[in-house]
Amino acid sequence: MGGNGELKYEISQNAYIKLVLHSLRHKTAAVNGVLVGRISAKDEGVVEISDSVPLFHSNLALLPPLEISLIMLNNKKLEALSKGKHRSPVMQLCVKDASKNWRVVGTDGGSKLLLKEPSANVVLSDYISSEKWKDVTDFDDHLDDVTKDWLNPGLFN
Amino acid sequence: MVTKTEERELNELENQVENGGGGVWEYLCLVRKLKVRRSEIVLKHGLSILNDSGKRSSLGPDEWTLYEQVAVAAMDCQSLAVAQNCIKVLQKKFPESKRVGKLEALLIEAKGMWEEAEKAYSILLEDNPLDQVIHKRKVAMAKAQGKPSLAIEHLNKYLEVFMADHDAWRELAEIYVSLQMYKQAAFCYEELILSQPTLPLYHLAYADVLYTIGGLENLIAARKYYAATIDLTGGKSTRALLGICLCGSAIAQLSRGRNKEDKDMAAPELQSLAATALEKEYKQKSPAKLNLLSSALRSLKLS
Repeated sequence: MGGNGELKYEISQNAYIKLVLHSLRHKTAAVNGVLVGRISAKDEGVVEISDSVPLFHSNLALLPPLEISLIMLNNKKLEALSKGKHRSPVMQLCVKDASKNWRVVGTDGGSKLLLKEPSANVVLSDYISSEKWKDVTDFDDHLDDVTKDWLNPGLFN
Repeated sequence: MVTKTEERELNELENQVENGGGGVWEYLCLVRKLKVRRSEIVLKHGLSILNDSGKRSSLGPDEWTLYEQVAVAAMDCQSLAVAQNCIKVLQKKFPESKRVGKLEALLIEAKGMWEEAEKAYSILLEDNPLDQVIHKRKVAMAKAQGKPSLAIEHLNKYLEVFMADHDAWRELAEIYVSLQMYKQAAFCYEELILSQPTLPLYHLAYADVLYTIGGLENLIAARKYYAATIDLTGGKSTRALLGICLCGSAIAQLSRGRNKEDKDMAAPELQSLAATALEKEYKQKSPAKLNLLSSALRSLKLS
């Protein structure tokens, strides 16, 4: 990792929006998920987050469902990513509290988490007003009903 | 806790109400009866009745119950002005009422004024020390302020008196899990299983906690409880089936190198039965994910 040890994270629009919509869907609970990305080819101190996968909204700290989700994720995601670039993918578990005041993430260099596309917030407020969060399904939902796809393939169509 | 039939009825009514098909009053009554949390919809439609004087007067004495329901829903959605208005109406109608006093204290809590709310609840408790709702509000406040150990303390005291309150045991278990105090969480689930042994939810949760604590004995016990869950749900619990596979793999890993004294430990038939059942389910309902499942199961068998 870079010389000063502090990594910066650049999050893509889709990953960011999925993340926010997931926590909006479950306003009364904490949610968690996996951010998938890779170390930037241009700058080793930056991790580019290309996608996020919403996992759970209940009983976050229990092993069995978490293990299963990570095994399923592992096989699928690393396959897709390694076909793209040569850099090895990086996975990070991220836990967010569904508080009403969402931390506003901007493109300024100050915060550690940067939005890659600044228009993301605009698209996000569009989605919020059209109650798009109802369409987000996470792995927890999948375990209750296997027909639900936690990768949310049709979410942004 | 809500049964599947009740949930289906609720969702059908909700769809009807949201699409302008009427049935608002039935929906609101059902929400009250089942004690579920659907605050946005309750607020929207409850208010539309209250703001229409014709509809309001046709409710008769139920009007006040609706004010109460809408006030609570408004607080849940942080529409504090609406809540305040509802409470004012109720205060006018029922001055000196303890029930309205509870709502006032709830509003103070909703505003985040913890100390005042604490005082208000203590006063209410003096008059009625056995009021379960108020005791639970104290737990909720501790949780909201990010003081889980205080919440645990309050809950434990509560359960000494009201030990048959299953929801409270569940809440306590979940707080323990969030603090990674798995042994204590296991104790809560044990109490729940003892009092309601036919509810698969508790067996499943207990098994998850045992697996999380780890260790060979716990894994073997977890597998038994996953099996019990499958028994109680007629094989429909995906989580339990996956749990069996995970246990099998973990037990095999831990007992590697031991003498094959305990053939029961391996239980290969159980694992392969579970795997077959899972593959069948995915093939029927989610064929796109079947490959993913199969490779996941394969990696569990090998490890």
